[in-house]
Amino acid sequence: MKIINKNTTRALFTSALVLLLAACNGESTVPADSVASVTFSSQAEEGATAFASNCAACHGASLEGTTLGPLLSGNSFLQRWGTQTPALLLNNIQANMPPGGNDGISDEDYTNIVAHMLSFNGVDTITEALTASTNFEIADNISQVVARRSRPEPEPPQGITVAGTVEKFTPITDAMLENPDPADWPMHRRNYYGHSYSPLSQINTDNVKGMTLAWVWNMYEGDSEPAPLVYGGIMYLINPGNVIQALDAATGELIWENWAGPANRQDMRNIAIYNDKIIQATTDARLIALDARTGEQIWETEVADASKGFSNSSGPIVADGKVILGLAGCARYIPEDCYISAHDANTGELEWRFNTIAKANEPGGDTWGELPDLFRAGGETWITGSYDPDLKLTYWGTAQQKPWVPVSRHLTIDDVGLFTNSTVAVSTDTGELDWFFQHVPAEALDLDEVFERILVNRGDDKLVFSLGKYGILWKNDRVSGEFQDYKETVFQNAFTDIDDKTGLVTYREDIQNAKLNEWTSACPSSAGGKDWHSMTYHPPTGTMIAPLSQTCLENAAREVALVQGGGGLAASRKFFEMPGTDGNLGKIGAYNVDTMEEVWSHQQRASFHTGTMSTGGNLVFVGDLDRRFKAFDVTTGEIVWETRLGTSVQGHPVSFAVDGKQYIAVTAALGGTSPRAVPGVILTEIKYPRSGNAVYVFALPD
Amino acid sequence: MKLGHKTFSKLVTSIACTLTLVFSVNAVAQSGTFRARLSPMPTTPQTVTTITGEGEVILTLEGNTLKVTGDFVGMNSAATMAHVHNGPPAQPGPVVHQLEVTKMTGGEISAVLELTDEQVMALHNNELYIQVHSETNPPGELRGWVFARN
Repeated sequence: MKIINKNTTRALFTSALVLLLAACNGESTVPADSVASVTFSSQAEEGATAFASNCAACHGASLEGTTLGPLLSGNSFLQRWGTQTPALLLNNIQANMPPGGNDGISDEDYTNIVAHMLSFNGVDTITEALTASTNFEIADNISQVVARRSRPEPEPPQGITVAGTVEKFTPITDAMLENPDPADWPMHRRNYYGHSYSPLSQINTDNVKGMTLAWVWNMYEGDSEPAPLVYGGIMYLINPGNVIQALDAATGELIWENWAGPANRQDMRNIAIYNDKIIQATTDARLIALDARTGEQIWETEVADASKGFSNSSGPIVADGKVILGLAGCARYIPEDCYISAHDANTGELEWRFNTIAKANEPGGDTWGELPDLFRAGGETWITGSYDPDLKLTYWGTAQQKPWVPVSRHLTIDDVGLFTNSTVAVSTDTGELDWFFQHVPAEALDLDEVFERILVNRGDDKLVFSLGKYGILWKNDRVSGEFQDYKETVFQNAFTDIDDKTGLVTYREDIQNAKLNEWTSACPSSAGGKDWHSMTYHPPTGTMIAPLSQTCLENAAREVALVQGGGGLAASRKFFEMPGTDGNLGKIGAYNVDTMEEVWSHQQRASFHTGTMSTGGNLVFVGDLDRRFKAFDVTTGEIVWETRLGTSVQGHPVSFAVDGKQYIAVTAALGGTSPRAVPGVILTEIKYPRSGNAVYVFALPD
Repeated sequence: MKLGHKTFSKLVTSIACTLTLVFSVNAVAQSGTFRARLSPMPTTPQTVTTITGEGEVILTLEGNTLKVTGDFVGMNSAATMAHVHNGPPAQPGPVVHQLEVTKMTGGEISAVLELTDEQVMALHNNELYIQVHSETNPPGELRGWVFARN
């Protein structure tokens, strides 16, 4: 978009005036430099216009954030940028924003936008114009922040806000986690194998038509993709802003509530339960254990330094007595990189770390070209892993290298960047890498393979399945990591070949050689294929049932300077419908895990925004953007029940039983990153309320 | 490790493609009905309100003659041109034919085209697409790949 920049116009006018006066051999009575003088205030004023044209569509006119982009004001902004400098902020947004492309946005415009953001967030102690090297600490120049440091203001809720006690609580053991009671849903995807399958069959294909709402509970607003836990008739529910509630799972009565902070609107997908503790990761990369009976905090530890950009959006898995969790926010050029870490479940004490980025002197370190360690970024582990108690291995997906395109990261398509975009099998005893399989080396389109790993036993075969943004369902041996087979679940044109013996992919030549600012068109888009919404494995039929998405993108790499504190994602993107889908963004695909053939599929206009969850009643549940929550027959793919909720259905459905009665629960929610942002520019006809986070619980009538 | 079926599948596909090529070049008298769904060109949050509309185009092939009829609605500005392009799904390519289009934000698309043998083959391989240009979106506002009609 072309910006009419007042400063540019003024500068041109001034230059013309000087030239004109010089030509006339006259003298100006006004020094040229005073006419063109620029201050922080004038930059902020110009920046408001530039922000409105280029940023407000996603971040809101008042920087309040929308479903397409995060808020850029208040505590959230201060937490992320308060200790950073304007130069780093400028560097970051120049490399990454706006995501649709930066044609016509000058360096001056970017500087003005930064001035506007700083002014809006209260920077008021400077007058001098910002430059590309302005390096004061942002928070130090906000009078209100400085005053607050000496005069504490009322804090948001912290700790227990509703007191209560879960009666008759039985501590949960390793054995109970290895073989969960059918009535319980005691971890993110119910069992260590990550099946998202409940053996309960009271609600089944014959009677599901009679299923009705049992109770509903409104949740705090914000981005949300939660998987409730249910243990012993109690639902433990993670809300946006790091709030956990314990509810009676049969009635929806609140028992206790704990605010771990920070009180923001950010997302956390899951929590864990072990022994007598609820264990949560926080959005600012802390790990906290609460008493499952009362919600009182037992211990707290730091996973990583949030002021350096680290965060968590998924919680831990407790395996072999260790709390194991990943890390996000690893795109910056700083000495610290991403890792998976294990902590003692009783104390929070760190036991081991596995680093997902190989440094130059480490195994795999030669796969990053000549890039110094400081500039090796990415490899986030933002989706919780699985666990094989027999092999004592935990299986995780890793995200791709950052920035997104090889040329932006000063590498080539041959610099595969271990251990990114891989399945890693890590010893729960030591944290040592047992094996890895890199699904898409040198990833080049922001299509990562980070999602859930599903463990399946077929005869003597011990397998691990995964499905990433390219929409390829991968089957590997989970003892050795050896590639077994693959299935393309949606149209993809990024690879010209997938070797059916090794699984090695070959990118299209134009993707391999993409230059800076050169548009490349490919399918699927960065919304997936498949994204964070977990697929389910239905053991009775040997079927993997996946929620899929069908969109494509145009992608153009941006230049990223190799400077400490810089980095980022660095690509412009545009999105469009996937050809051949008749505009159906949503797809549910069921795949036989032995043959890898598609058994059935269902396509619809609205994109799906929950994981799939299957049951012993031969049902699979899923929810969509258009507020519909549906049940399919696992065998035929026929829709056998559906209802409509208050807003978009998003999160991870679960099933549980209390006093012998089966329930199905799902959340309605907002946010959800790329899988919401991409349909946001394609499914413009689908309307849903911008509030309404809630958990809905269904059952058959008594 | 049981992997042979995909290698076999690729071999079969290669043979089928070769036979199709030979058949197509030597005997182009084919018929069929095809369809393109027109939807907005690649968009962003900044352009989602200025690249708009949808439409449907039906294409009927008799021999090398392709009859094109379609309609569209809801563009952001009046249509200026419409073309058939040659490019595999989701990969832009060059213009190969011009189409008649109503010079309004909604209207009709039509043409009767004589395709080359190569273009007939491209049609069968889903390698043709239709693009409608407009006053405010000269590079294109609506686009849709052509697929055999079910």
